[in-house]
Amino acid sequence: MHSKKINEYALDTVIYVILIALGLSTLVPFITVLSKSVSEEWAITSGKVNLLPVGFQLDTLQYVVTNHQFLHAMLISVLVAVIGTLASLLITAMTAYPLSKRELPGMGIVIVLFVFTMMFNGGIIPNYLLIRQLNLIDNLGSLVLPGLISVFNMLVIKSYFESLPQSLEESAKLDGARNFTILFRIMLPLSGPVLATIGLFYAVYYWNDYFNPMLYINSTSLKPLQLYLQDIVMNADSSSFKMSAEDMMNVPAEGVRAATVIASTIPILLVYPFLQKYFIKGVLIGSVKG
Amino acid sequence: MKRMTKMLSIAATTVVLASSLAACSSNNNGGNNSASSNETAATTDNSATNNNAAATDTSATLPTLKRLDVFQGEDYATYPAGKLLEEKTGYKMTYDMLPQDNPTQKLNLLMASGEPYDIVTTYNDMAMYSDYAKKGALTDLTPLIDQFGPNIKSAISQQSRDALKVDGKLYGIPNIITYPVGFGILIRTDWLDKVGMKMPASTDEFQAVLQAFKDKNPGGHGSQDVPFTLKGDLPMIDDLVGAFGMPNPWNDVNGQLTPRLLDPSFPDYVKYVSGLYAGGLLDKGFVVNKDATAKEKFSSGKAGAIVVHWADIPGISDALTKAAPDAKFAFVPALKGPNGKSGFGANKGFDRLSFVPKSAKNPEDAIKWINASLEPTTFKELAIGVEGTHYTVDNGAYMPILPIFNDERNLANDYMVGTDEANYPQYWQARVHKDPVMFEAFDTLNNKTADADKILNQLSVAPYLEAYSKNNQKLETMSGDYTVKLIAGAEKLDGLGDFQKKFNAEGGEASIKEVNAWYASK
Repeated sequence: MHSKKINEYALDTVIYVILIALGLSTLVPFITVLSKSVSEEWAITSGKVNLLPVGFQLDTLQYVVTNHQFLHAMLISVLVAVIGTLASLLITAMTAYPLSKRELPGMGIVIVLFVFTMMFNGGIIPNYLLIRQLNLIDNLGSLVLPGLISVFNMLVIKSYFESLPQSLEESAKLDGARNFTILFRIMLPLSGPVLATIGLFYAVYYWNDYFNPMLYINSTSLKPLQLYLQDIVMNADSSSFKMSAEDMMNVPAEGVRAATVIASTIPILLVYPFLQKYFIKGVLIGSVKG
Repeated sequence: MKRMTKMLSIAATTVVLASSLAACSSNNNGGNNSASSNETAATTDNSATNNNAAATDTSATLPTLKRLDVFQGEDYATYPAGKLLEEKTGYKMTYDMLPQDNPTQKLNLLMASGEPYDIVTTYNDMAMYSDYAKKGALTDLTPLIDQFGPNIKSAISQQSRDALKVDGKLYGIPNIITYPVGFGILIRTDWLDKVGMKMPASTDEFQAVLQAFKDKNPGGHGSQDVPFTLKGDLPMIDDLVGAFGMPNPWNDVNGQLTPRLLDPSFPDYVKYVSGLYAGGLLDKGFVVNKDATAKEKFSSGKAGAIVVHWADIPGISDALTKAAPDAKFAFVPALKGPNGKSGFGANKGFDRLSFVPKSAKNPEDAIKWINASLEPTTFKELAIGVEGTHYTVDNGAYMPILPIFNDERNLANDYMVGTDEANYPQYWQARVHKDPVMFEAFDTLNNKTADADKILNQLSVAPYLEAYSKNNQKLETMSGDYTVKLIAGAEKLDGLGDFQKKFNAEGGEASIKEVNAWYASK
């Protein structure tokens, strides 16, 4: 009995040590980039920077965060993420609510239509042509509208609504509430966790979206952060023969690239911990069928 | 997943492009197309001008031009070179940039969707340019230049203009390449002093120097030091390939342009380099070296020689002076090979191309703008600024004044549409003078190398060759990988014949036929 307990402790310790080591190892690349962003350029070039910065300085980071284009791209990204998330949440919830009412006529067909779009989509060419015809090229609308509703997220919210007691709505109806009032005054306030989770999904989607802006945005002043990052970080290898010598002399230094990555990761890192608690609850909700 | 989306999007762009170009060419079939397209151009021109005048009032009748250009790290509109051009030409410009990654793909989308850019500037890509021209997506510039472009005519040589003709019409304006030689072997001259040897002049002497680097350990890190390092995807070592008579990817062998892999000197070259490798003179790890790893070895003071481009020198030099304060280095001059051959591959031709899409709203004004920007004093001010403010002249050489030159002229080349071909190579060297160490290295390769040792890469001045363009990249990678294996001993030279057959079958033969048909007609 006693020895078994010691064995268990030993096993637990080993498991914890392994898991902690694994967990910490995922931080290594991040720490390396962080160190590079605050190291002097010569140390990076000669490969001296690993986990700890060499020749600590904050000039590169300061250069990046005061760079006009960086700030502008950041602003665009925040704008798209905030507006996109709010709009998506609203539309998704408003779609999910009627679909959570089983008595709605023709509901089977509507659900099938929605699910159909989960499995098949037109592809890039029709999408591009559509956006072009809608005059949304070079317009921030092209970043928000195509991803406004995700059927998967809508189904998660729908099943959450279904899990709320029917009697709540009935009593509201007796008190004279109409559908909109019920949705906005009763259902949504009760759906905090699931909305936070889905909101986080949407926020991450809008924040990370790189492909849509690449296709649809031409003007520099509308480029979001991910495109800016792509330009700064990618293809800065002087060995690519396409580059002319002028460009090679002007390639952003490794330290600047590292600092750009760090400065653009921090905002989303700051949002994460605050939503973490909802995140756990919300995902659980999605997994339990109503 | 990411790769898949990329491939999808490439497919997408091709299809979109094809469909819209089909629309273009069906227009062209109308016989009197030039008249009608001029008419529409004129009407759109008017309405654009009216709108503009209504909107701004101040700029009399000149339309705002819309330009698409390559990526740069600063805002095109606010960078001083942009403001200068606005002042000098009188035209306002709006700029969009192509992405750094996969610019062609995005350009295909934009061209296909008929975005009304007045001027588009891209990196030189003859295949793409010819394709656009043939499909009718570009404006024929010849009549416009005749009418509005006297400066363009005097700045851009007839030779350059001829090189860009597609079916007898000129659709583009080139920026020339300003220097012939890029890569060379950079060697630690302080190590040379330490081992008591002079700069090598032949491949044998070079080998002896590397042997001395290995035996006498001038770097002082013992077995950590390597005499000679390079990155793994660069097995055709500049300067050394020249010593074996094949400085360029394709060289003239008895009147025929021949790719290196089929060159009769190829086995000798491989024997020499694999000898260096086997003797421990060439970095044992070069096969897996990335660009950055090779540079790390050199700039941390642990390598005696490295293959680099001169433009990479400032970073390397900064790092190296921290690691080894008395370090000195220089490019090895052209080495003589066993048969007395020597030389560097020299590039000519174009760095960028600019064109006016069919969808441009103001093609005439685009040419007027280009003409104004190529006015000799304007062009000079664009390239290097104002004497006394941005540069000084020292013994006929243009020297930059720092840091203002960096702040206001570093990106000037992004604004150029065409270059003053007679003077630009001289103006341009002001940029290289920004770093004296870099200039010295540049000078060794480009100004001090005898003309006979700057051997023109014939293909850098070739027109668009279809089979060659299609296969070249693949064949280069294939023969590069194979050469690495030969050098490292993973493949034996006995197998060369078989590999050459494979090379020919994979498009080598077709390319050779096509390239030499052009070469013979030249």
